[in-house]
Order: sequence, then C-alpha cells, then structure tokens
Amino acid sequence: MKISLNQLKSYVEINVPVEELCDRMVMAGFEVESIESQGDKLVNVVVAKIEKITPHENSDHLQICQMNIGKGELVQIVTGAQNIKEGDLVPAALDNSILPNGMNIKAGKLRGVESNGMLCSGEELCLTEADYEGAGVHGILILKDDLNVGTDMREVLGLDDYIIDFKITANRPDCNCFLGVAKEIGVVLGTEFKAPVPTYKTVGQDINDYIKIDVENYELCPRYIGRVVKNLRIKESPDWMKKAILASGMRPINNIVDITNFVMLETGNPMHAFNYNELLGKHIIVRNAKDGESITTLDGKQYDLNSDMLVIADGENPSCLAGIMGGLESEITDDTTDLFLESAKFKRDNIRHTARALGIRTEASGRFEKGIDIVNTHYAMERALGLIYELDAGDIIEGEIDRNQGLPEGRIITVTTDKIMELIGVDVDDDTIVKILNSLGLPTTLEGKTITCKVPSIRDDIEGRADLAEEVMRIYGYDHIVGTPMRGAVIRGKKLPERIKADALKNLLCSLGGNEITTYSFISNKAIDTLNLDADDERRNVVTLLNPLGEEYSTMRSQLLTSMLNVVATNFNRKITDARFFEINKRFVPKALPITEQPYELPTLCLGFYGKDEDFFTLKGTVEEIMKLFGAHTEYERSSENYMHPGRQATVKANNKSVGVLGELHPDVAATYDISTRVYVAEIKLDELFAINKRKTIYKPLPKYPAVERDFAFLCDKDISIGTLEKAIISGASRLCEMVELFDVYSGSQIPEGKKSVAFSVWLRSADSTLSDEEIETVTNKILKKLEAAGAELRK
Amino acid sequence: MKQQLEAIKSTAIAAIGECDSLAQIDEMRVKYLGKKGELTALLKQMGKLDPAERPIMGQLVNEAKAGLETLIGERSAVIKKNETALKLKEETIDITMPGKAHKTGKLHPLNTVLNDMIDIFQSMGFDVVDGPEVETDYYNFEALNVPADHPARDMQDTFYLGENLLLRTQTSAAQIRTMENRKPPIRIICPGRVFRADEVDATHSPVFHQIEGLVVDKGVTMCDLKGVLEQFAHEIYGKDTKVKFRPSFFPFTEPSVEVDVSCSECGGKGCRVCKGSGWIEILGAGMVHPKVLASCGIDPEVYSGFAFGIGLDRLTTTRYKISDIRLLFENDKRFLDQF
Repeated sequence: MKISLNQLKSYVEINVPVEELCDRMVMAGFEVESIESQGDKLVNVVVAKIEKITPHENSDHLQICQMNIGKGELVQIVTGAQNIKEGDLVPAALDNSILPNGMNIKAGKLRGVESNGMLCSGEELCLTEADYEGAGVHGILILKDDLNVGTDMREVLGLDDYIIDFKITANRPDCNCFLGVAKEIGVVLGTEFKAPVPTYKTVGQDINDYIKIDVENYELCPRYIGRVVKNLRIKESPDWMKKAILASGMRPINNIVDITNFVMLETGNPMHAFNYNELLGKHIIVRNAKDGESITTLDGKQYDLNSDMLVIADGENPSCLAGIMGGLESEITDDTTDLFLESAKFKRDNIRHTARALGIRTEASGRFEKGIDIVNTHYAMERALGLIYELDAGDIIEGEIDRNQGLPEGRIITVTTDKIMELIGVDVDDDTIVKILNSLGLPTTLEGKTITCKVPSIRDDIEGRADLAEEVMRIYGYDHIVGTPMRGAVIRGKKLPERIKADALKNLLCSLGGNEITTYSFISNKAIDTLNLDADDERRNVVTLLNPLGEEYSTMRSQLLTSMLNVVATNFNRKITDARFFEINKRFVPKALPITEQPYELPTLCLGFYGKDEDFFTLKGTVEEIMKLFGAHTEYERSSENYMHPGRQATVKANNKSVGVLGELHPDVAATYDISTRVYVAEIKLDELFAINKRKTIYKPLPKYPAVERDFAFLCDKDISIGTLEKAIISGASRLCEMVELFDVYSGSQIPEGKKSVAFSVWLRSADSTLSDEEIETVTNKILKKLEAAGAELRK
Repeated sequence: MKQQLEAIKSTAIAAIGECDSLAQIDEMRVKYLGKKGELTALLKQMGKLDPAERPIMGQLVNEAKAGLETLIGERSAVIKKNETALKLKEETIDITMPGKAHKTGKLHPLNTVLNDMIDIFQSMGFDVVDGPEVETDYYNFEALNVPADHPARDMQDTFYLGENLLLRTQTSAAQIRTMENRKPPIRIICPGRVFRADEVDATHSPVFHQIEGLVVDKGVTMCDLKGVLEQFAHEIYGKDTKVKFRPSFFPFTEPSVEVDVSCSECGGKGCRVCKGSGWIEILGAGMVHPKVLASCGIDPEVYSGFAFGIGLDRLTTTRYKISDIRLLFENDKRFLDQF
C-alpha cells in the first residue's frame, strides 16, 4: 500500500525522519517495500535568470541564452522556446540533471553551439496550472520574479513529500488504508493519532422517498448502507485529495468518484457511486445474479454472470458487480445530477471467486477479498458524506438505509498475563502489557494477573493469547528475546533408513566419478514420446498439472530418463567431452487415472554416461558396484526397451526381481535429443533396492591353504553367452570354486566360422586342506564336462 | 722379480683407479688376478727363484693380490653407486605432468549444503523426516490454518493436480503429518522439494527446496526458537553472527517472525550483498499456531512449539555467490565440478 507521508502527517504526529519511521514500522510488522522521495525525480534543476539572448547562427528558431544561476559565471544554454525575454526567471536543468518525466539532461551541442543544460517547460516538470501558475502555458515556465537565482526547484515547488510503500500482511486488512497505518504509527512513535470526525448537514427530505433497498442474501452481503445526494456539482477535486489519490497509485477523475476512492484509501472501505437516475424502479436489490444475466462494467467489457455471483441490481437489471466493479449504465459522468452512494460489506471468498471467474481485479475487489470491517462500513459512509459537504459536491438527503442482521459485539479474551508471555519466554510487566494493548485500540483491563481484552471487530485477526503475545511483542520489541540453547536430553537426531541408503549410494556414485544432477519434477507432456514406449507401457500413465506454467512443465515425471537426456544434451552440445551423471529423485506413479488420491512417489536412480572411455561395460561395472552396496544377488538378462540399442541393453535383476534397465541409448532417440555420441543410461528402482535386507557383515577367516589357478581355453558357438559358460564353470567347480575370471574372447582368423575362443582363469581352493593333484584332476574334469554340456570344447 | 711385482702393482692401482664401469673392473680382475692374470703368471715364475726367497716373494705376491682385490672391491662399490645414481637421474620425470587420476564426482551443491544443515540439526537432536511432494489441500493449507479462500493463499501460487491434490507449496505440510504420527516431545526437520507457479528467472524457480523445522514440547518459548536459530546461524555463517527477529505473518504460526542474520560479508556494516542494511533475511519462523496444534490432536494449553522454514536454494546461492538460481537446475558439468 503506497501512502504519501504528508497525508499520514494529517492524522498523526510524525516527529522522526522518514528513514527512522520506516525502520521502526518494519520492526512493528510493517515491511517497507520502498521509500520514494518526490524530490528524487527532480534533480539539479534551479531557478535561473536570463541575462542575455542571442540568435543562433545555424537556426532560425533556436536562441542562445546566457543564464545566471547564482554562481557568478554565466552558463550558456540553447533553447527553442520563443516565449522568453531577457530578465525572466526560468527553471534551468543543468548538466547531469533529472526531470520528473524521466529525462536525463547532459551538456552537449545544438547545431554546433555549446548548450550546458535545458530550460524547462511546465510540462517537462510534470506541472499543471494548478501546481504553478503559468505551468500550463506552451513554452518555458516563467517563474515568479521574487525568487532567488540558484534556488533548487524542489524548494520552489514544495516537493518535500515521500511516498512509502508498506507491505501489509494478510492478517492486517485493517491496515490497507491511511488511517490503519497512521494509527500504528501513533503507537510505534508514541504520538497522538486522530481520525477525521465527519460533519455535514442534510437538505432534509427523506431517503425513503427516493430509494428502496432489499438485501436478498445476507450471507454474501452482511451489511448494506445507502444514501442519496441530489444536485451534484461535478468538478475537479482539490489538490490535496488528488495528490493523496495519485500517491496511492490511482487516478483522479472528478470530485464524486475521487471522494469514493479517497474514502476507500483512507478508511479501507470501498464505496460505490451510482447514477441515481439510471436506477430503474428506484429499487436496490442485493441478490445473486440469474443464470443468463450479463453486465457491461465501467471498463466497457461485458460479462456473462451466473447464480454464484452477487450483483447490486435495480428494479430490473444488475447495475453493479458487487464489490468488484460498477456497471457502465449507472456510471457517474460530468452530467450526472443525482447520486446513490453505497457502503457495504461483502463476503470475501465470494468476491474472490467471482473476481477470479471473470478475471477482474480492482482496488475494491482486492480489499473485499482481504476482508473489511462491518462496523467501519458506517464510518466510511459518514466520511464520504462529510467530504461531499466540505467540497460542496451536492445536497445530502436526510436519512440512511442500513440493512444488516445485527453487528458483531467483538470478541472478549480473558487470560492471565503469564499465559500470554509464556509463549515468548520474556518478562514484560503487566502494566506494560495492558498499556500496549490499549494503545493498539484493544480496550484491556487488568484484575490481579488476569486481563480482559475487548477485541473490536476490525481486529478480527486477534483470536487468543498467541495473537495478544504477538501484539505485545511487536510493540515491546523482539530484540528483547534472548536465545536459549536447546533443552532436554540431547540425543543425536535420526535419519530415515531410506535417506541413509540414498546418502551411501550418492557417496558411492561420486567416488565412481559421478556428478549428481538436479532436475525439475515436471516435464513436457511430449517428453515421454521421445522414448518410443509401447502404447501400454506403464510409464505412459502420468499425472498432469491442471495449471502448469506451460506445456514444457505440464507432467509429473514417471521416469527420470528424459530429464537426464536433456542434461546430457546440454552438456554435449556445450562441447563437454565426457560425463557421468546421476540423479536420485522421485518418479510419480498414479494409483488410478484420473487421480483422486496421492500418487506413489518412488525413489529412483538414473545414470547417464558418455565420452570416449565409456561403453556398456563401464556402465554395467557401476551398476554392479551399486548392487554390491545393497547386497543384492544380481543377474542381467537381455531386455527390449524401444529407446535402447536392441543389442546392448539388459534388465537388472536383484534377488530375482527386475529393478531396472541399463544399456546404450538408441541412436534414433539420441538424435531426437540432438546428441551425436553414444550415451549409456540406466534407470533403477530404488524402492526395490532399499527394500533389500542386506546381510550383516561378518568376518570370514582368511584362507589357510593355497589356491590353485587353472586356465581353460575353449571354442564354442558365437551366440553362447559368457554368462552361460561362467555358470557352467562355477557349477563344475562347485564348492572348490573361489573365483572365475574371463581373460580372453576372440573370434577371427584361425577360429572356425561361427565360433569364438574363450579363456577363463579359475581359482580353486579348499578350506580344509591343500588340494592334491588327484582332487584338482577330478574337479577339472567336472568343469570340462559342464562346459561340454554347455556347448564348449577344450581348445587343443 | 720384486721390481716386476712393484711395476705390476703400480700399473694395476692406476688402472683400477681409472675404471668407471663394472665391465672394466671385471677386465682388471681378469688381467691381474685371473688364472691367466699377471700376478698369477708371476707366481708361476716362482720356481725360478732361490728357494729361500720363495716364501718371501710368495707372501709379497699374495699381499699384492689381496691389496688389489680390496681395491677392486672398493672401486666396484663406487662404480655401482655411481651407476645407480646415474640410472635414477636418467629416470627423472617431469613432476608437473598431470596425475593419472581416478576421477571422482561431486554431490550437487544443493545437497552439499543440505548435508551440512542436516548435520547441524541432527547434532541438536532433530530427526530428519520426509513428506510427500504431492499433497492434499488439507495438509498443505487447511490444517495449517489456511482455509479455502483465505487471502493467505494468494501469497502462494499453487500447482493443482486435481480438485484436492496439489504440489506442496511449503514443507510445512510435513508439520501436520509429523504431529499426527508422533507424540511430543517432537523435534524434526523435513527437507524437501516445493513448488510454486513462479515464472523462471534469475531468482525464481517453480521448483525449489525448503527445510522445515518443528519443535513441540511443554514450555517451548520464542527464546528457544531464537537459541536454535542462533546455533544454526553460528555454524553456517560463523560464531559472531547475530540473529534478529522481525514481526511478520504466516497463517500457521503466531507470533510469526522473519529472521535476519547479520551479513557475514561485511559483519553488519552494510555492503552490496546485504544491500547496505547489514542484515540478510534467511528464513521465516514462529510459534506453532494453537489451531494447528489442536487440529493435530495436541492440546495447545499444555504444549507449545515453534516452526521454521529455510530456503535451501537461497542458502546455496548465497554461500557460493551463485548469481542465477537457474544454474542449479541446468547441470552444466563445469558448474557441478566446482563444489
């Protein structure tokens, strides 16, 4: 809420500099977004006397002026204006000056002649005839001749005001107005605050002869006050009112409209002015709109209404969108002669719904949404009438119509001072507590240790002792709070097992050269298509956002892979030659679609490797280390993901359960992402891995007897997998098998077509004895038999 | 013959002294001490001598032999030492050449900072819990004292997934889930991802991270809140850091405060980092609203508590002086390698 400091000073004494005022208001709960000095917009412009005017050689309209700015030496300024003469006092913007219209004036040359500034017109200083006599004239502003040469123009124009932008928190709608803020300032500074006391005289007659008011829906409109003013004298508002309205970011229009806006800004209560003569049937009905009704509002737009929306109707049609915007038909114009004036309270969520549904937001609707005080509604009306009388804007008809179903009494809170302060832990003496609460307009009495606080409806935010504690502390000062260390037995906090496991996994991956990445949880709804998944693939079941920032962020991801590929693409295309990326994050799996309950959020690991040293097996090696970390018995089986290289991909099975896939990205998919290198990716379901109960580590005695190493080289069909052969050896060696290591795979010259040569080293060891030659012979034969059965024959 | 011996001896001593390889030494050994060597030849001539002179001469020759052998031994030790030195010298490498590293990777900076925070709060006895990112309206708003159409909902632009389902706008939702499932004393933090419909720019991201803290027990006060936040600030920003409370408003705490710490860059004098104020806003906090306690079945007349919410992304960008929050989500390897 932007407020003019001078306006605030009309309600409360402000005896400190503006910066201090703002600092102290911040510490009382009113954040200051900005302090704007009017003077900041007018810098280095002074009163100057034209000593001499000479014509410009290269121009028939430019003139060269020698200006006296009170510094002895004259300053030369070229001007195009013709309304000046020697001896005139004019505003001169000197080198490096700033004008209110945003212009920045610097010395330069005009058609070859040096000019050290600019002579200013009223318009360039953003002045009207009302601000300074002569400002409306076309040409340079001629100043009054009693001014001293060299005087700063800010001083001449009285630009001493500041506009302070207070950020009003959602619990203090009562401070969305001049009076609310001024009252708080009074408390903070300890100075006197005075709200204007409206007085006016009516011209007699009876309002009931003019208008009838019916409220059909008191739930949405708990109070409606109407008054009638005749014989309007529409004109411009006085300067002080225009300045206050402008400072708060609104535009002055005419005295009647300005009064309604000013009263809203001053009291926080929106008002509405109707052209009385346009009200059909001289009847005001506050009712829900009928389906099919429509209204054309002040801004000329037509809106179709429905029965959830509240309108102020005349005898026939909606005349105003309640609390939001008036209708065009009943707008106040320069020709309007009679006025129906409204001050009302509307239910905030209804206003909010209607404003959102229609996409309208006004100063009034914003205030109703935040909530206005039902009691204050009457003061606002009185204040408006007082101003109409004061400004002689019309003749006030006697009597008001006030429709309501009773006004709230306000809340009474009874609590001991100890109870209030126990939340804070600071001792504040009882009298100080009572004094602070009373100063805040919360009438409070003390009896023993018990206070009774009568909370007026305007401070509806105060519900109990916690609120009172806050009121006391923000005035008493939060700097009185002294930190105390944590009490109670200090036991180190615990982490959830999933977090401990994820942390261990991250450390492992970092030690294997992985860089952790972080990507958004929502992705493009087209991303999933880049993976060419089958139509019935479960990853196509996705949760979508109803109101995404854009298509790009519209879908909760059911996999992490597409985000990974974007990161790989970014890096690859920035000429980063190699990388190992990993991300541990959630994938979202709906329980049903469309979703009615929270989806599963499952921890997932995604790996993405590329670079000249990477291949399927560097990725597989990493996955093997991961499986080891979780103590999983792991197997790899050929898989058939459409987005992977058909011959270079595998399903990872941990303890016989599929937990993910790894492989080389299909070149077509890589091309979709604009990646022209091989990329190796894996996606692992961590929920499955986290669920594995890893066996506790128990020390195994070191072997007492030597191991025997035997090498086996054999031929087999090319399509027999190494895994099959390895299994054959292990089963042949049985309990003597300590380790099997592949050391050569070869096909080519000297190997028959369709065959390959494979060589393994096998370590055999017995826990009970040194193996004898016979034992070795026996186990070797067993191994060979198994290999033969698997289709391999020993190379001779 | 004696003269002959002396001549051989002096020639040999000189020759051995000049040897500078083991091969030459071997040559010397053969030449003087070998079976066909000069001293051996001299011994063979002994027969020609007078029998009385033979033992004397024999002794002389043997002494000469022993002397030369010692000399050869010494010389070869010197040569060996020199040769080793030479070999090692030749093996000198350029130690400025790059190491053959086994490359390690890095945690994302957000998680590096998060781990520090978790460590600090764990040491103060806070358990670390998690909560769902897709929340119901109840946990994200209602139970936090933000009923439907409360103006406080305007403070946050919410992503909706369904009528009643949304992406949590604050980790505060975890407060409710924790209080429903645990009995006081409660001391938890809940780090996590939150979402708000902010357009992406240098300081805004629709996805960001918070750390929610919650303490509920008998007799918990705002002084306790300040104590915890001071300890946190001292560990994160240094032990001279001051903590300041400014009144504010959150629907789920009462009283509510914004918490500033003295600027660690200028020590509170005012600089560019703190925009001249000497203070940096780091989090929002307050005493848990009695209505919030009550809605979780905790009697606000018996128990009180405090809660705070820290923005992890902001903490990370300020710690590393990262100028643009988008860098955190872009994942350029050259960026990730720096932390």
